Amino acid sequence: MAKETQKPFRQSMAEWRQFIYNPNSGEFLGRTAKSWGLILLFYLVFYGFLAALFTFTMWVMLQTLSNDIPKYRDRISSPGLMISPKPDTALEFYFNKSDSQSYAEYVTTLQNFLESYNDSKQSQNIDCARGKIFEQSEAAVKKACRFNLSDLGLCSGKEDPNFGYSKGTPCVLVKMNRIIGLKPEGEPQIQCTPKEEGMVSINYFPRDGAMDLMYFPYYGKSLHAHYLQPLVAVQLAIAPNATKEEITIECKIHGSPNLKNQDDRDKFLGRIAFKVMMSE
Amino acid sequence: MFPDPGSLGNKNSSSLMLCSLLSTSELEMKYGTSIDKGLSSARAAEILARDGPNALTPPKATPEIVKFLKQMIGGFSILLWIGAGFSWISFGIQLAQGVDSAFDNVSGWAPTPPALGAFNTPQLLSNYKEASRSHQALPPPNTSDKSSNIATPPVDNSSLTGESEPQSRSCDFTHENPLETRNIAFYSTTCVEGTATGIVINTGDRTIIGRIASLASGVGNEKTPIAIEIEHFVYLVAGVAISIGVLFFIISVSMRYKILDSIIFLIGIIVANVPEGLLATVTVSLSLTAKRMAKKNCLVKNLEAVETLGSTSIICSDKTGTLTQNRMTVAHLWFDNQIYSADTSEDQTTQPFDQSSPTWTALSKIVTLCNRAEFRPGQENLPIMKRVVVGDASETALLKFSEVILGDVMSIRAQNRKVAEIPFNSTNKFQLSIHETDDPQDKRFLLVMKGAPERILERCSTIMINGKEEPLDSEKAEAFQTAYMELGGMGERVLGFCHLYLPENEFPETFQFDTDSMNFPTSNLCFVGLLSMIDPPRSTVPDAVSKCRSAGIKVIMVTGDHPITAKAIAKSVGIISATSETVEDIAKRLNIPVEQVNRREATAAVVNGMELKDMSSEQLDEILRNHTEIVFARTSPQQKLIIVEGCQRQGAVVAVTGDGVNDSPALKKADIGIAMGIAGSDAAKNAADMVLLDDNFASIVTGVEEGRLIFDNLKKTIAYTLTKNIAELCPFLIYIIASIPMPIGTITILFIDLGTDIIPSVALAYEKAESDIMNRRPRNKRRDRLVNQQLAVYSYLQIGIMQSVGAFVTYFTVYAEQGFLPSTLLGVRVNWENNAINDFEDSYGQQWTHYQRMYLQWTGYTAFFVSITIQQVADLIIRKTRRNSIFRQGLFRNKVIWVGIFSQIGIALILTYGLGHVTALNFTPLRFQYWFVAVPFAILIWVYDEIRKLLIRRHPGSECTPLILIKYFHFMSLFPPFHSHPRLSCHSQYI
Repeated sequence: MAKETQKPFRQSMAEWRQFIYNPNSGEFLGRTAKSWGLILLFYLVFYGFLAALFTFTMWVMLQTLSNDIPKYRDRISSPGLMISPKPDTALEFYFNKSDSQSYAEYVTTLQNFLESYNDSKQSQNIDCARGKIFEQSEAAVKKACRFNLSDLGLCSGKEDPNFGYSKGTPCVLVKMNRIIGLKPEGEPQIQCTPKEEGMVSINYFPRDGAMDLMYFPYYGKSLHAHYLQPLVAVQLAIAPNATKEEITIECKIHGSPNLKNQDDRDKFLGRIAFKVMMSE
Repeated sequence: MFPDPGSLGNKNSSSLMLCSLLSTSELEMKYGTSIDKGLSSARAAEILARDGPNALTPPKATPEIVKFLKQMIGGFSILLWIGAGFSWISFGIQLAQGVDSAFDNVSGWAPTPPALGAFNTPQLLSNYKEASRSHQALPPPNTSDKSSNIATPPVDNSSLTGESEPQSRSCDFTHENPLETRNIAFYSTTCVEGTATGIVINTGDRTIIGRIASLASGVGNEKTPIAIEIEHFVYLVAGVAISIGVLFFIISVSMRYKILDSIIFLIGIIVANVPEGLLATVTVSLSLTAKRMAKKNCLVKNLEAVETLGSTSIICSDKTGTLTQNRMTVAHLWFDNQIYSADTSEDQTTQPFDQSSPTWTALSKIVTLCNRAEFRPGQENLPIMKRVVVGDASETALLKFSEVILGDVMSIRAQNRKVAEIPFNSTNKFQLSIHETDDPQDKRFLLVMKGAPERILERCSTIMINGKEEPLDSEKAEAFQTAYMELGGMGERVLGFCHLYLPENEFPETFQFDTDSMNFPTSNLCFVGLLSMIDPPRSTVPDAVSKCRSAGIKVIMVTGDHPITAKAIAKSVGIISATSETVEDIAKRLNIPVEQVNRREATAAVVNGMELKDMSSEQLDEILRNHTEIVFARTSPQQKLIIVEGCQRQGAVVAVTGDGVNDSPALKKADIGIAMGIAGSDAAKNAADMVLLDDNFASIVTGVEEGRLIFDNLKKTIAYTLTKNIAELCPFLIYIIASIPMPIGTITILFIDLGTDIIPSVALAYEKAESDIMNRRPRNKRRDRLVNQQLAVYSYLQIGIMQSVGAFVTYFTVYAEQGFLPSTLLGVRVNWENNAINDFEDSYGQQWTHYQRMYLQWTGYTAFFVSITIQQVADLIIRKTRRNSIFRQGLFRNKVIWVGIFSQIGIALILTYGLGHVTALNFTPLRFQYWFVAVPFAILIWVYDEIRKLLIRRHPGSECTPLILIKYFHFMSLFPPFHSHPRLSCHSQYI
């Protein structure tokens, strides 16, 4: 092949300019304005049609769904555990019991979280029969069971507005994820164990960390508007010799055969681990 | 560039011509040698030390490691490497950021180029196998023919010049051109008869053949058209990738993403655009075609050459062996004042011409008896035409001719015992033998003679007409002349035949014939007839040439043979069509001098090598431009190179056929060099990209068809592959803009690119040719790109977007049915991906742990994957044709497509249900109904494309577009319309 002669720079620049706008034919980027207009029109129509089709199919699909219950719940057969307050970074609590600033955030979070559990907010809720599943599938409007804040004892925030943080006995609330239709078997209770012995002693509110069956099942946001999930407060009395030490605590749900707490992959399924380090 | 072959010829001339001008004694002086004694051994050792052995320097072999690296990083692979590099960068960034999922994300982006092999297959180079004999003189005579004691020993120059006939050598300086002069013999040529002594004037690389070999190695391999197309494609993909990447980088920065995140997005987008599977697919498709071509006797050495043949627009073909059968065959006879045609086909078993005349009986006897050629024994079961004969080309032709007509020639000869013989030599130009006759009553001897017609006629006083001897008057001599001219004008080699029954009284049974004293009459003989021979064209060639013509390919004959023979063969195979004329023809017809003829009127041209030598390249260009039918005769190897360059200056893709060492520069220079498998020299085969195993021109045409088909099919494959690229890219873009959970994972994308899509895209290589494949012009290198704007736009912006929409519907369906309505999903990205949030609330108030969300996300991946797969089935089907309806092409004609479809779905099923529990692969089992969500969209794609095809069939040219949008369907059509093709005109058969 004959060697391609390199075009002079000026010429190729002129060609580019010509391509971008050709004053003779009125072409812009190789097409006339009319041509561009028609292409634009075509894609407008084409994408308009696709958008309409997409919207329509989505609408049809949404019509098949119920407002109350998701079609499938197989991806969350067993609930996860979570704590409150949840530190921003990881599940690690660092505070100084003599410095109220260091735990102010935890306290506020707890206060806010327990806001909805105030008696004033629970006026519509009923007292349910303890110890058994509160089946109300026939009822059109599902009732919520009352959760008495006083059950949380020292961690209710009523007696100690600092939830024990100032005394070296911080409270952490453990809750179980809401799952529609979940009916725990047996007597579910939260049990926490510190990794290292002798550094901390743990108190549970309600006693033994029990979660009452009457709070189950959950019927979903729209049917069960005032539902309050049961809480278990864990009060950690940190031994004086364990200050400035990182204490790892793992909480698990026990006593219920259908609530998993030992999944290899999901570290939060029926269990949760967090760290506490307190200084003076 | 390499040295201009013209100047090379001159350089030859300067040293060689000098030698050719010198007398023997001067030469002896110059080289300090003696013609009788040769060099003294000490002097010989000295010269050997100075010049090295008389061997050609083998071409520099590229080290294997360099070849390997070239394969690894050349062409398309570089895209994958850059992608891999970017992946590591983004992995590094994420790792530095402390993102746990860095390993998840990034490992997926890394493509695996080395395992896929590279685009180019290593060339099968072997070294020149030139014998390194160190001969100080011409080889000793290699014939043991004692009777051949002749002054001008013929030399077979075919490997050097392509001349099929041996050239005689003498001590006379006859020509300025060293290749033409008679007193130089060349390295690698052989003396076919007689003996000769000479002085070696050059050795090794300084010989003509050495120069040709170095010329060939100096010619750089040009990039193949497909390599250029792939490069163009890489630029295109890279351009799209980078523009989208940068666009979204800007978008994500202005959406207040962190810069580092934005960079990761940028890299992600660029990498997502790389079609990882395409390299493998293209290579496999080319290999399949190469295999198919090998079955049709085209052995492809370089995979990319497969396609080059398809874009060929000029074929420069050799004559001997390629267009012709490479064996002399009797073509015409003249006796009884009449010309008869003989069958020249490859597998003749009878001859149809009228054999009733007694003249024929006499002629056939001469043909049979005056012939020294013999069949090698033990070939009785072979067809006559295939038997091996000992003897020269003309004698062989005559032997086979008589064997076909008369049957067992050997027994006829035995019955007519030979008593004396004078073999042919170039001084007396006849051959004579005297036989007893097979008629026991007839005791006369029969003298038979053949030779150059004019010499034979000189010796005759009578001529046989219808079996009777009649005096040879001027009228009959005139008839002879006319016939001789006519046969000669057809480029045929004419032989005259005569005989004489020796009178019994003068030559009794016991007469001793003496061939030295010639004690028998050699004049006043009886002229019987003429036979003319030619190397006939192969029977498949005319058809192949006309196929080339309708395919828009110009066939140019380039031969070392005489113009007359070349033109005759060109006419008989259709290279010069029946109606077209050369300038000389017109001049003859109008009876005007050649100079006055308007050159534009002549469509054909026969250019002599001597004329070519004096031409400037502009003049050559003019010939190549203005004449559609061209024959180059008497060309030297260097001129072949000039012709090839001239064609390439016209912008043509040139295929060159060749067999000799002399052809290797042209073969290398050509876009595709085609060497002859049977007749070809090793040097030619080395330089070529392709080897024709049967030396048959018709095989080239099959190759052209395959080459065009693979181009079409690669186009389909790329369109197919590019389409789903958008469906893989869109999720990422939406993920950035709308902050929804990631719809498709990188590993999943790789499973599409390298898993489900591979077999279907290869299956497109099996798609049959559309009927017009050999009726359109060769593609224009500059205009008809492999991946053009139309293809990219249609795949990316139309089908690709449709696929994405279909896949997103599935994605949203999966999430919605699990509790995350579309409205909830918008903007959740940061929390969704936060490891520490394990009570993420869905639309129904349920709470999800991180792992539960991830598992759902993988289900989303799987659903997206399945949707793309399902829609790719539709994509595969619509890609089967360019503009014909699928129903016309037939859904089931290409079975491999169905293998592709089933494999696609099979692999998807295995991944989903079989490997659904291997979390590392991010696949989860999927509810059965989700397989069907995208089906309506798949159908839509098919319907949409059928409508597009219908419209471009109905309205192929923009000049007859009644609908406003149809013009823009052109914009979408994959292939620009071929206006030249009648089928595609407005009045097409589809309307």
